[in-house]
Amino acid sequence: MLSLFVSIPFLSLIVFNIPGKHSTRLALFWSAFLFIAQSALALLFSTGIINPVARQLSRIFIFKLSLDPLSLLLLLSIGVAAFAALLAGNNLFREKSQKSNFINLLMVAVIGMNATVLAADLFSVYIFMEIVAVSSFVLISIQKDRLALEGAFKYMVMSSIATCLMLVSIALIILVCGDTDFGVVASGLCAQSGNPIVKLAIGLFLCGLFIKSGLVPFHGWLPDAYSAAPSAVSVLLAGIITKVTGVYVLMRLVISVFGINPAIQNLLMLAGAVSIAFGALAALTQHDFKRMLAYSSISQVGYIILGLGCATPLAIAGAAFHFFNHTIFKTLLFINAAAVEKQAGSIHMDNLGGLSEKMPVTGATSVIALLSTAGIPPLAGFWSKLIIIMALWSAGNFAYAYIAVIFSVVTLAYFLSMQRRVFFGKLALSLESVKEAGAGITIPAALLAGITVAAGVGFFWVLDKLILPIQEILR
Amino acid sequence: MMTPELSQVFWLYSIFAALLFITGLYCVLATFNLIRVLVGVEILIKAATLLIIVCGQLTGRQALAQAIVITLIVIEVVIMVAAGGVILCLYKHNHSIDTRKLKNLKG
Repeated sequence: MLSLFVSIPFLSLIVFNIPGKHSTRLALFWSAFLFIAQSALALLFSTGIINPVARQLSRIFIFKLSLDPLSLLLLLSIGVAAFAALLAGNNLFREKSQKSNFINLLMVAVIGMNATVLAADLFSVYIFMEIVAVSSFVLISIQKDRLALEGAFKYMVMSSIATCLMLVSIALIILVCGDTDFGVVASGLCAQSGNPIVKLAIGLFLCGLFIKSGLVPFHGWLPDAYSAAPSAVSVLLAGIITKVTGVYVLMRLVISVFGINPAIQNLLMLAGAVSIAFGALAALTQHDFKRMLAYSSISQVGYIILGLGCATPLAIAGAAFHFFNHTIFKTLLFINAAAVEKQAGSIHMDNLGGLSEKMPVTGATSVIALLSTAGIPPLAGFWSKLIIIMALWSAGNFAYAYIAVIFSVVTLAYFLSMQRRVFFGKLALSLESVKEAGAGITIPAALLAGITVAAGVGFFWVLDKLILPIQEILR
Repeated sequence: MMTPELSQVFWLYSIFAALLFITGLYCVLATFNLIRVLVGVEILIKAATLLIIVCGQLTGRQALAQAIVITLIVIEVVIMVAAGGVILCLYKHNHSIDTRKLKNLKG
């Protein structure tokens, strides 16, 4: 059953690429259907309707797969973000060949992400991360634009260095534990936790994952890759790809493989807090819409890592919820940036202004997304930040709790400044003829805004069905 | 755990792997040539490959190590092909493969 999350997209990828005449439109509809089906299935699993069936059928595939509430939440996020990026890409890419390349590469990325989420073996995780990484290199440089190629090359070099660190760590783990299966490695590392080789291995792996998730001080590639990529690709990249390959793998490995100990906790909380502060302060000074969103992304990932570092069951649940929210609102903000770039022809915030009257849907959804990011009730982002801060407070990490609260305000500050410079205020003269973007952009924007509001208003249902079960993976 | 003899073998190989790793890292950081950056990344991956083989040999899990290394080589080729494509396109834009000309992204 689980293998279907990987094998059906894989089969579709093969079918899309059978030589001969084929229709991009069909591929588009089929991919859209697959992504919706994935989200729906993940949601159904979470509500417990089809769980017994899944357990019976989960022994078919050759890779070791595992499914728990955290993977379900991730599958849901991947489905939603991929669907939004697909519609945006269909709208934004002009040429037919580019459209079809985009759909195919998106499918490869989704296969890799689904498999990363379900894998239960260190080396499988590495393979699938690389699949996602390679497809994103090609996606970034898909238009052969000069800046995008530069961003792609930076991303590629940083990502290769990260994977080398992880490979060295995998080698050391094989030396100590003799296997790469999560369970075996976890017990092996636990038995020899004083061994310096074990410490080195864990350190190297964490370092690699920090690079992959763009945490400060390894964030150098992230704003470049996000802002230089074609708009539809940066939706995908910022919304889900770096979150799955970096943040999710970090969460999974720290929780179920490396084990939580005070050293790792301190390291994670420090990295999280520094990223929150640096990302927010750097975002304040940006003039480019997408670059600002990229720095904001670093800052929000910091919250997730801070929650993870706190490592109480509540904090882990909060981190996972913030992960989901971050996927939703960051995808939404990048879609808005894409709409602005396409319609107004610029994403330099000083050249824009007053777009809200010309682009009402984009302006309104952007307000929802930024309020959710800054943690204003009753939107979803408020609840996840509240859970993280409550968990930090009850675990006695007062300083980190203060940092989280203070930089939440800074988040609001830079987003309001963005909103004023881009959407509110006086309409710039050159923008008189701007129109609302097409349905391919406004529909996913409205959908994501709807999810943000719904997850905030229906918070207790979401908490009960999706978030609190995540605590059980700590056992 | 390891006998002293095996431990000696491990240190020998791991020192060599560490040297390779440092060489690769130096190559990535010190050069201004895009192709050399890729060569540096290759050397880094080679260091990791060597270490995996040695660790598999020492723990008696040769089959696992070989499976991993073969998969690793395939992935490495894919990455290098993608990177080569990117460099080719950059060369078409800049007529140079000097990293000092890649300074358009800042901030």
